[in-house]
Amino acid sequence: MLRYTFRRLLLALPVLVGISVIAFFMVRLVPGDTVTALLGAHYSEAEAAALRQKYELDRPLVVQYFVWLGHVLSGDLGVSAFTGEPVLGTIVSRLAVTVQLVVISIGFAVLVAVPLGVMAAVGRGGRTDFVATVFGLLGISVPGFWLGVLFILLFSLYLGWLPSGGFVSLVDDPVANLRHMAMPGLALGMAVAAVVMRMTRGAMLDVLGEDYVRMARAKGVPRRRLIIRHALRNALIPVVTVTGIQAGYLLGGSIVIEQVFSLPGIGLLALQAITNRDYALLQGTVLFVAVAFVLINLLVDLIYARLDPRIEY
Amino acid sequence: MREAWHRLGRNPLALGGLTVIAAFLVCAAGAPFIAPYDPYAMSEGSMLRPPGPEHWLGADQFGRDILSRVVHGARISLRVGLIAVGIALSAGTLLGVIAGYFGRWIDQLVSRLFEVVFAFPDILLALVIMAILGPSTTNVMIAIGIVYTPIFGRIARGSTLAVRNATYVEAARSMGVGHGMIMARHVLPNITAPMIIQTTLSFAFAILAEAALSFLGLGVEPDAPSWGIMLSEGRNWMQHGWWIAVFPGLAITLAVLSFNVVGDGLRDALDPRLRGRGDVP
Amino acid sequence: MRSTMMARLLLLAVAMATGASGCARHDQPIDPADIPDEPLPGGTLTVAIQADGLSLDPHAVTDAPSMRLIENMYGTLLRYGDDYGEVESYLAESYQASADRRTYTFALRPDVRFHATGRPLTSADVEYSIRRIIDHRVRADQFEPVDSISTPDAHTVTFHLSRPAPAFPTYLAYPMNVIVDRDVVEANDGSLSRSDAGTGPFRLVEWRRDRHLILERYEAYHLEGLPYLDRLVFRPIPDETARTTALRTGEVHITLDVPGKDRVILEDAPHVELASVPGTFWEYVGINARREPFDDHRVRQAMAWAVDRSMVSRFVTFSRARVLTGGFLPTSHWAYTELEVYPARDTDRARELLRAAGLADGFRAVIRVGSAFPYQVAAAQVVKQNLEDVGIVTEILAEESAVFFDALGRSDFDLTVVGWLGFVDPDEWFYNIFHSAGRWNQQGYSNPRVDRLLEEGRVETDPGARKGIYHRVQEKVVRDAPVVLLYLNDQTSAYLDTVQGFRVHATATTLSLRETWLVR
Repeated sequence: MLRYTFRRLLLALPVLVGISVIAFFMVRLVPGDTVTALLGAHYSEAEAAALRQKYELDRPLVVQYFVWLGHVLSGDLGVSAFTGEPVLGTIVSRLAVTVQLVVISIGFAVLVAVPLGVMAAVGRGGRTDFVATVFGLLGISVPGFWLGVLFILLFSLYLGWLPSGGFVSLVDDPVANLRHMAMPGLALGMAVAAVVMRMTRGAMLDVLGEDYVRMARAKGVPRRRLIIRHALRNALIPVVTVTGIQAGYLLGGSIVIEQVFSLPGIGLLALQAITNRDYALLQGTVLFVAVAFVLINLLVDLIYARLDPRIEY
Repeated sequence: MREAWHRLGRNPLALGGLTVIAAFLVCAAGAPFIAPYDPYAMSEGSMLRPPGPEHWLGADQFGRDILSRVVHGARISLRVGLIAVGIALSAGTLLGVIAGYFGRWIDQLVSRLFEVVFAFPDILLALVIMAILGPSTTNVMIAIGIVYTPIFGRIARGSTLAVRNATYVEAARSMGVGHGMIMARHVLPNITAPMIIQTTLSFAFAILAEAALSFLGLGVEPDAPSWGIMLSEGRNWMQHGWWIAVFPGLAITLAVLSFNVVGDGLRDALDPRLRGRGDVP
Repeated sequence: MRSTMMARLLLLAVAMATGASGCARHDQPIDPADIPDEPLPGGTLTVAIQADGLSLDPHAVTDAPSMRLIENMYGTLLRYGDDYGEVESYLAESYQASADRRTYTFALRPDVRFHATGRPLTSADVEYSIRRIIDHRVRADQFEPVDSISTPDAHTVTFHLSRPAPAFPTYLAYPMNVIVDRDVVEANDGSLSRSDAGTGPFRLVEWRRDRHLILERYEAYHLEGLPYLDRLVFRPIPDETARTTALRTGEVHITLDVPGKDRVILEDAPHVELASVPGTFWEYVGINARREPFDDHRVRQAMAWAVDRSMVSRFVTFSRARVLTGGFLPTSHWAYTELEVYPARDTDRARELLRAAGLADGFRAVIRVGSAFPYQVAAAQVVKQNLEDVGIVTEILAEESAVFFDALGRSDFDLTVVGWLGFVDPDEWFYNIFHSAGRWNQQGYSNPRVDRLLEEGRVETDPGARKGIYHRVQEKVVRDAPVVLLYLNDQTSAYLDTVQGFRVHATATTLSLRETWLVR
């Protein structure tokens, strides 16, 4: 296991380097200028030049990359030119919002999707299966941001139950926090639920067709126990994988939902960084999201390897 | 192939999807004739008019007819989808086949590159590319095309690997047939089935992505009748009328849904082994 | 299975909604008889603002949200009165101007103390602060005529100017030209971006970016009994709908800027009051007068005739703005004069002018706008339709602030839709935008006669004569049309009926928060 872990880490290394290269240079290709964003509509060339020097924006790009990489490796993502605050600190403070959003949507997705997927597979071709199929198709087809807008229309404007946007910290006020997170969590979770449901259904169908399940059925194992003990357990392995990947993906993929509900998370941070041409912040955020994705995938792989005895390491 | 069509023909969901896609194609092609109004024409008298006999789907804050804008929106969405997927398909196939066919360091390089691109959430990557290129319809197509290239690349590479060492390819090689010829003659035909499925599903992604980018303000021109832009404006005007945001969203959902349904149907029809497997997008 | 799940979630949502709405919202409207005559001290008031501030350094910021966060922490020598254009004493008890308006002497209040150090405010702090403003450049030009500052004693400051400057008191009252505590500045390496170095009615408790800024009552505030509120919370809510809903559900007490379209909604909302005054936020179509074909004044005039201002205003502000057919200034301004140049849209005239300029077939151009300003993007769409009617085909390019401001600063545009907010003195209104050497003359407009008039207006001490000068400035500028004026927005705020004593100001400043109090 240790050797396998080590090998996977080693394989991830070039990808991480590639991510850093893309994150840095792609962001620097973006036209416009932190400095002019900072100075607003009215500034003088001297002011701009002084600021450029301050943020080392006047050195060759490749040099800037290595300087940046050196800092990144020592845990320093630089300072946002716009707010003057450390990028890493800013990301961490925004992370709580996005992580909570991801947890709610994944939680909702799993709660709905796994039972539905199992029932669909068990009653294959039946009414539940049809409902599940339609749900699976709708879930991946309805844009999350439209769903969010519909929720706001219904629950905020028409019924007046929930706030239409903004964020209150879980620590400050748990009830208000949930009221703010319910709609974005559901809107984001719908697509995840659809994907996880389709996966569960597929995996269950595979497992139900396996010899050992047929054998167990032939031996007269009760239906309920058969499904849960024998089939679901094995079918869950790919489901865990998919859910993990989705979680990693949502870290940065929740931009649009965060925008709809004015949630100050990582996605909105990236959007602000783009708007302000805040290179350090954008590089940091993009890098953070991509690295988090790779690491979560790695973790999922390792869990998978642990769960599935067929994998050799 | 004929058998596959036959199987597809027996799938009612897929047929429904095909019908909707056909309807959208008709809208896109004949938009100026089908739409009751000019999608850009403003009218003070129709400002925020709810759905009714004059404006079936209502009018927006400029008094523009929403039905006409939705119909013209099909043009933008389908065109963006077509070209973006076209870019991803050609670039992905090229890279994937080359990587799979030559193997070794080329394969390593291309595969790692795909992995790197995969690590970035698609919307975030598309946003940064849009920021680089600037907002315009052409650039939306390019951005989405780049983002989805690795998906096609991976499939092409996998399928190429599967046939690379097949006897008929070996034979062709030993007879001195050039690499390009072998790839075109023997490798490409073998990967069409998975590519057709992926192309259909990617239309759905591309339409969603265009809507999302426009919704975030980094997509097409602000007055263009794009579904994403209409939805984004509708969100600002929600308190004045539900219809401004609801109908464009419905159009997006319908279009995406039909491509997904047809993609699923194609998968079942072309590759019966995969039947019932819900693959992850 | 799924349906029970959904039912449960729905129940949970209902429980959460009803559970919390009880405490967030009061159910009975306030009976006017219940409002006490005397202000009630105490309570926390939450204010919704459009965006979070960028910095808390009063001498460095240029964006409106930052100013809203900062202005109640600090004090200025003079301050804006409730009536637009009026200036009253504040940290300075009184001041005297010499007859030639070249020497201003201020007598400081003796009882003003800084938040952080408790140290009394002295003339040295005033000198330090004004020097700091000049060093920070963003508003240095307001103090350009200052030759020297002398501080004969701890409570007297004299400014010696190189030329008469009738606008000087107005500039000193600008809410960001505040007096800061030198010790705090030095303790923070020269930057006040996250600190409070003020003497104002409220002091800084906490600033969590994009969530809230919390201020608390300053016990040692020099005005007895003020402020009334214990706490003041600013919450940035960028989305217009979310901002309006937050007020309707009682999550916030005040929303400072209510766009015309949301005014319509709030007018009918229970427990909500709207207050509106003629504002100073003017918006226009900027024309790059250095670029072909806009270097021909006939082309610019053609556009001024082609744009249907009332149509733009109707669509974008719900007609809740004053359409500008002539001059710039609000009717409440002391220098306001009646001026009508483009009374109504006239496409025939526009076509005629284009024909005279040799452009009978029209031409193509790009309108650049900032995507962060949805109302300007909307205005651009109407302008585009208007111009198309006379053969000018435009394309709208909506870009993020960084790119947009950069282009604007470099005069890299054909046409643009932008606006300015918060001007008071006519010198502020016109000099920097329309003088050939003006700092913000992005239109590249240059008319030697206007330049001369603007220079005269800066130094003319007689208000009547100044009024005449600025009338001529406006007339010439509007006829030369480096900008097509659209409208002057109303300044509108909305608040819950429990809020008392809040007064909307034409410049959007929130100085009246120190006199604001809550009924319950």
